Amino acid sequence: MPEGIYCNKTPITTEEALKALLSDTRGKKYYEEMEQLEVDREKLWATVQKTFKSRMRTWLDVCARCGLCADSCFLYLVNDRDPEQVPSYKIHSTLGEIVKRKGDVDNAFMRHAMEVAWSRCTCCNRCAMYCPHGIDIGIMMGYLRGLLYSQGFVPWELKIGAGMHRVYRAQMDVTTEDWVETCEWMAEEQQDDWPGLEIPVDKEDADIMYTCNAREPKHYPEDLAEAAILFHIAGENWTVPSEGWEQTSLSMFAGDWEACKLQVENVYAAIERLRPKRVIGTECGHAHRATVIEGPYWAGRPDGQPPAPYIHYVQWVAEALRTGKLKIDPTKRIKQPVTYQDSCNYIRNWGLAETAREILSYLVEPGYLREMTPNKEHNYCCGGGGGFNGIGKFRPQRNKALLTKRDQILSTGAKLVIAPCHNCWDAIRDLEEEYEIGIDWSFLKPLLIKMVIVPEHLKPKDEE
Amino acid sequence: MYAFLTGPMLWLSFAIFVIGSAWRVVKYVRGLDWQLDRVPYGYYRELAVKGALKSIFHWLTPYGSRSWRVKPLYAAAFFLLHVGLVLVPLFLFAHVMLVSERFGISWPTLPAGLADTLTVLAIAAGAFILLRRFALPEVRIITTAHDLWIMAISLAPLVTGFVAAHQGGEGSGWLLAHIITGEIWLIAIPFTKLSHVVLFFCSRAQIGVDFGVKRGGQRGRGIVW
Repeated sequence: MPEGIYCNKTPITTEEALKALLSDTRGKKYYEEMEQLEVDREKLWATVQKTFKSRMRTWLDVCARCGLCADSCFLYLVNDRDPEQVPSYKIHSTLGEIVKRKGDVDNAFMRHAMEVAWSRCTCCNRCAMYCPHGIDIGIMMGYLRGLLYSQGFVPWELKIGAGMHRVYRAQMDVTTEDWVETCEWMAEEQQDDWPGLEIPVDKEDADIMYTCNAREPKHYPEDLAEAAILFHIAGENWTVPSEGWEQTSLSMFAGDWEACKLQVENVYAAIERLRPKRVIGTECGHAHRATVIEGPYWAGRPDGQPPAPYIHYVQWVAEALRTGKLKIDPTKRIKQPVTYQDSCNYIRNWGLAETAREILSYLVEPGYLREMTPNKEHNYCCGGGGGFNGIGKFRPQRNKALLTKRDQILSTGAKLVIAPCHNCWDAIRDLEEEYEIGIDWSFLKPLLIKMVIVPEHLKPKDEE
Repeated sequence: MYAFLTGPMLWLSFAIFVIGSAWRVVKYVRGLDWQLDRVPYGYYRELAVKGALKSIFHWLTPYGSRSWRVKPLYAAAFFLLHVGLVLVPLFLFAHVMLVSERFGISWPTLPAGLADTLTVLAIAAGAFILLRRFALPEVRIITTAHDLWIMAISLAPLVTGFVAAHQGGEGSGWLLAHIITGEIWLIAIPFTKLSHVVLFFCSRAQIGVDFGVKRGGQRGRGIVW
């Protein structure tokens, strides 16, 4: 059977196809069919020849096989130093073989490569900082994912996720109507506590356009309300677009480059339509990676910049605290041992380590911050990055991977983990559920709302 | 034989090394692709140059990168091997004498004792790196025959040169062996993993630009290697 009904090389482009694939609970039939899925060797090799250029070719060629990447990889360390988890081995035994064999690989090889690409690497890019040649295995794994996706060898959830982006331009089935209604509903809900609070949709020439993660409107809309409250307190002139509000990209995790382009172009179109002075994204790492760091290249922008300056939420928070737009009540600062989870995507891969610390200097009573070891640019992945959190098939591997973060947190002695990244937040929630170490975890927004001084004129009239 | 090896063959070896290496660099640069690599080549020149230089500098400085610091023993072996392979031959009295006799130009040389010590240390470092390959499971699993060959090709001129300097004269086989292995080493550079002689700089510069421009080099304290 070359192509299955559920598992095939065709991307999901319609709502019906999406529903059909979703109906195959946990991808049971999908993975069964995958065992028979044929590899289109010619296409695979043609793709490699077209897209595998000197940067990555040189990385494979000059790898000195010194093994310095081994200890840089948390998955190698947490899996009892299994040599098959050495980053160099992981890439040479998969992508390296595809190149060496000129695409002549079989179904079993591809299924194994899929397991490696999605369960033995979270594309955290930490190894790139430890390789004498500057070889970034995470980037090559991302490329390998693209090859695998194009051949239909992709975890079920990510095939669906990429399909969601193609169909809804969001990682979940949130339509424009759903989104706008959620904005209205959230603004309305807050009127008692925050008279005059608005979530302005499609306001042109605002100072800020805000983009978020589809899970926020879908599963915890209060996050959107919190964003609105903080902008309201800070007196920002802001808006959200009715179209192009979704900043995430499961297609990036899936290796569906075409969907990545469609998704990010949707956001850029909103920027061009509404002409905000700048754009601020929510507390999400991969959304920032997709839309701000990698997106410009998918969209064909050679200067690597989105159409308007696009910053991460922590940058806005740091700025608001620095300029006094948000003022913290000193009596409400955090007075328990607290640590900060550095997200790979905007810390290691976008340089916001110091920005995050600036925020902590306002929020945490001196003496209560317990940094993880290692931290900042060198921090380990939460254990669930790169799509790992969402793949049922690899859940046991993911749960094992969480041990790194669990032990890092435990040795800080912190009781609260600040995690301004959806993936990290999820991973930490899951590790608490799985291993029960008695910690709390939080985004910045709820913490800020608890601590911020509300200006008199914004308080409800009946309140003292 | 000696005349041929130190005449035409030596010229040929140098020519292959220089032209071949230049070709590797040209091929590397021409194969860079801003969209596929997702790096804004050609933009933000100042940041790019800074990122590239910083990336090379931290890794060419002993213990200048975090990776070197967390692996002090391997770092020592790495630097000793490279000093023995690159600096010692360039500043060896016997080599400089040859150039001086033929072309009338010369430059300062290393004291004989120091040159000997560095050579022995480089050989020991090479042997350590080889042993480490087999001793550590995480290195053994990625080791290929190619890696063993290039270490053999690299250590051969050091070993033969050291013995030739201490035992033989011009008539001994060791000197011939030194010249032959030295030429093999030069010729192998463009065609094997030894191409890292030039590609190290390309690759490090590239990742330096990537992190220096795109991945946060302009924010905070910049990338910390």
